[in-house]
Amino acid sequence: MSKVTTELDFFGLEKKQTNNAPNKPKFKKLLDRRRSFREIQGAISKMDPEIIKSLLATGANPSETSTRSLSVPSTPKEDHQRILISPVHAPLTRPSTELVSGTVPMTIFYNGTVSVFQVSPNKAEDIMKVAMETSPKKDKSMEKHLSVIPPTTLRTKLFGQNIDGDLPIARRKSLQRFLEKRKERVVSTSPYFPTWA
Amino acid sequence: PKLLLSTLLIPSSTHTHATSSSSPHAPPIVIPILDFDLLSVCLMTMEDPDIKKCRLSSVTVDDVIEQVMPYITDPKDRDSASLVCRRWFEIDSETREHVTMALCYTSTPDRLSRRFPNLRSIKLKGKPRAAMFNLIPENWGGFVTPWVNEVASSLPRLKSVHFRRMIVSDLDLDVLAKARLDELEALKLDKCSGFSTDGLFSIVKHCRKMKTLLMEESSFVEKDGNWLHELALHNTSLEVLNFYMTEFAKINAKDLESIARNCRSLVSVKIGDFEMLELVGFFKAATNLEEFCGGSFNEEIGRPEKYMNLTFPPKLCCLGLSYMGPNEMPILFPFAAQIRKLDLIYALLATEDHCTLIQKCPNLEVLETRNVIGDRGLEVLGQCCKKLKRLRIERGEDEQGMEDEEGLVSQRGLVALAQGCQELEYMAVYVSDITNESLESIGTYLKNLCDFRLVLLDQEERITDLPLDNGVRSLLIGCKKLRRFAFYLRQGGLTDVGLSYIGQYSPNVRWMLLGYVGESDEGLMEFSRGCPKLQKLEMRGCCFSERAIAAAVLKIPSLRYLWVQGYRASTTGQDLRLMSRPYWNIELIPARKVPEVNQLGEVREMEHPAHILAYYSLAGERTDCPPTVKVLREA
Repeated sequence: MSKVTTELDFFGLEKKQTNNAPNKPKFKKLLDRRRSFREIQGAISKMDPEIIKSLLATGANPSETSTRSLSVPSTPKEDHQRILISPVHAPLTRPSTELVSGTVPMTIFYNGTVSVFQVSPNKAEDIMKVAMETSPKKDKSMEKHLSVIPPTTLRTKLFGQNIDGDLPIARRKSLQRFLEKRKERVVSTSPYFPTWA
Repeated sequence: PKLLLSTLLIPSSTHTHATSSSSPHAPPIVIPILDFDLLSVCLMTMEDPDIKKCRLSSVTVDDVIEQVMPYITDPKDRDSASLVCRRWFEIDSETREHVTMALCYTSTPDRLSRRFPNLRSIKLKGKPRAAMFNLIPENWGGFVTPWVNEVASSLPRLKSVHFRRMIVSDLDLDVLAKARLDELEALKLDKCSGFSTDGLFSIVKHCRKMKTLLMEESSFVEKDGNWLHELALHNTSLEVLNFYMTEFAKINAKDLESIARNCRSLVSVKIGDFEMLELVGFFKAATNLEEFCGGSFNEEIGRPEKYMNLTFPPKLCCLGLSYMGPNEMPILFPFAAQIRKLDLIYALLATEDHCTLIQKCPNLEVLETRNVIGDRGLEVLGQCCKKLKRLRIERGEDEQGMEDEEGLVSQRGLVALAQGCQELEYMAVYVSDITNESLESIGTYLKNLCDFRLVLLDQEERITDLPLDNGVRSLLIGCKKLRRFAFYLRQGGLTDVGLSYIGQYSPNVRWMLLGYVGESDEGLMEFSRGCPKLQKLEMRGCCFSERAIAAAVLKIPSLRYLWVQGYRASTTGQDLRLMSRPYWNIELIPARKVPEVNQLGEVREMEHPAHILAYYSLAGERTDCPPTVKVLREA
């Protein structure tokens, strides 16, 4: 369900709301796969690297606050407005345009678009702080504070310097079998029987 | 007169560490009277015949060491002793009773029997550990055939055989059975494959004095239940019967009952799925039973009292009942106070149920469960189970709705655990969230920890406190006895500095599994300057290049085994040759596409990235590789 208002969902609150949405049918909850951290990164890594490269190459305006917004559709999976901010220190091939010393490209994924800004690290931090502040503070029980993905790691993921594709945490064979058998038992019992007490 | 003085130092063994998890019964063997910190041998050569009469003693050193050597059981001590001189080498060879080969390809069967002709017991491991996680091709290797043939021809004293993650055929079992007959006391086919119930039948038929028969987690073809029937007919010595996590469907409860009746020393039985009510007769007969795992509960609507009258043998103190739910749990309450080991990995309990049950088990020493135990369960554990020595928390279901929403472990639970269960020696846990502080508290409180394994699950996008550089440093510094260490994170989980800490502060660690650690090759290089005793290194999902991996291997002084999946391959694929050296085998399992069934029941081709496997071997390169395994031959 896409929301009308644009919200910076930096904290992934929409996921929590989705989980608690009372009107969402239970079976649909069952089928919704919990979006894992890796999947998000995976989504980014599956974007056409050529697009990403060209974005960064064109981010050549030395002005600190310049914006050059290119609407590039990101993966269609994202129903919800999400903002992902990652300062990318990209060592890619870029045209002969000089970077102003101290500025690096900052890529922002927002509402299905990708934008590149040439900013200094301090500015980048400020922008991230602003993004965090504008995010609505929900229940106090959300005590976790933000942890930003360090740039180097995201870079390696984006530009395939890491391994090809995702390497999900492997499951132990014995546990895998048990979980499958348990699922079969749940399915085979009467629909009125609780899945677990 | 000439005087020759030789003083030899033999390092002492640490007699205090616990035995491996594969032998739940054996207590640690401590021989306090023999402290081999310093063993001095003085040899005096005298030219003067008069002085010869004043020999210090008529007993030679050789006589002494012949008497003493059999008491030295620690393989490291034996290794040192065998290096002293030729005579000591010979005495060690003649008297060595047990050998464990961490990888069967590191030597050859004939070398084994030539050096240790009087072996009583062997343990061989085949496939890499990753095979337990479905990462290794089934036919990778680890065939027992050459070893069984050697046993048959050249190891006449062998009583106990343990094959782990190896491929065993019916013919192998037949050869073994007929070679050893009644002398074979223990056979453990531990996570093996390739045989059928015919092979088991052969073993049971020829080896009538079996005390231990184990097939845990093995996969095989089940033709019938005759092997168990044969056991029931003729065996009275059985102590341990284990076919836990197997899919036997044709066995007869009556046979189990007969075995229980005939074998008065039967103390441990672990079976596969088997309706509990059919085991009533078995439980009645197994009066000396101390350990039971397996079975199966099948609730029926309208029969809530179905299992209420189940009674267990009086000495039962170790158990794990499959599919046990909160309705069945109360049958444990009458004897919960005597429970020492509890396996809840295959139970159907929620967080609350864990709390209820754990509170009743103050004498718990070993607990295995899934992360459904939650932080709350760990808090209860910390409050109630002060004797806890081993804790394993496995990963439950990811899918929403299948597990308790409370069923996640985080820093909160870890801190409570560390403060409460200070006797812990082994701890393996899948966490959903983590902080540096919680790792610090582990370092502060768990001074007996020998084995620590942490995996950070990937469901939560953001983690409270990353990177874990400082926490891991505190943990490693605090847990001085640590010998095994696994740290499986995600990108950003540990910086290069943090990785260097792991190398720097792990003086006693022999085995490590590192997942998604570090940021660059520099981190690996710093890491490799430390870990002086690291023998076996497994890495997954790391960003290091072939070149860096090769360089690191050459730097780590004790490294004898390396496994890597997920690394930056070089364009030529030849950078691995940088670690070429004599006796160092390098193998690759190139990237493959494997059809697998996913959560929704669809068949997808899953990408399996390449593996590197490298190890020291006296056997030369492998000659029995399947097509999926490539040996990196000498250029």
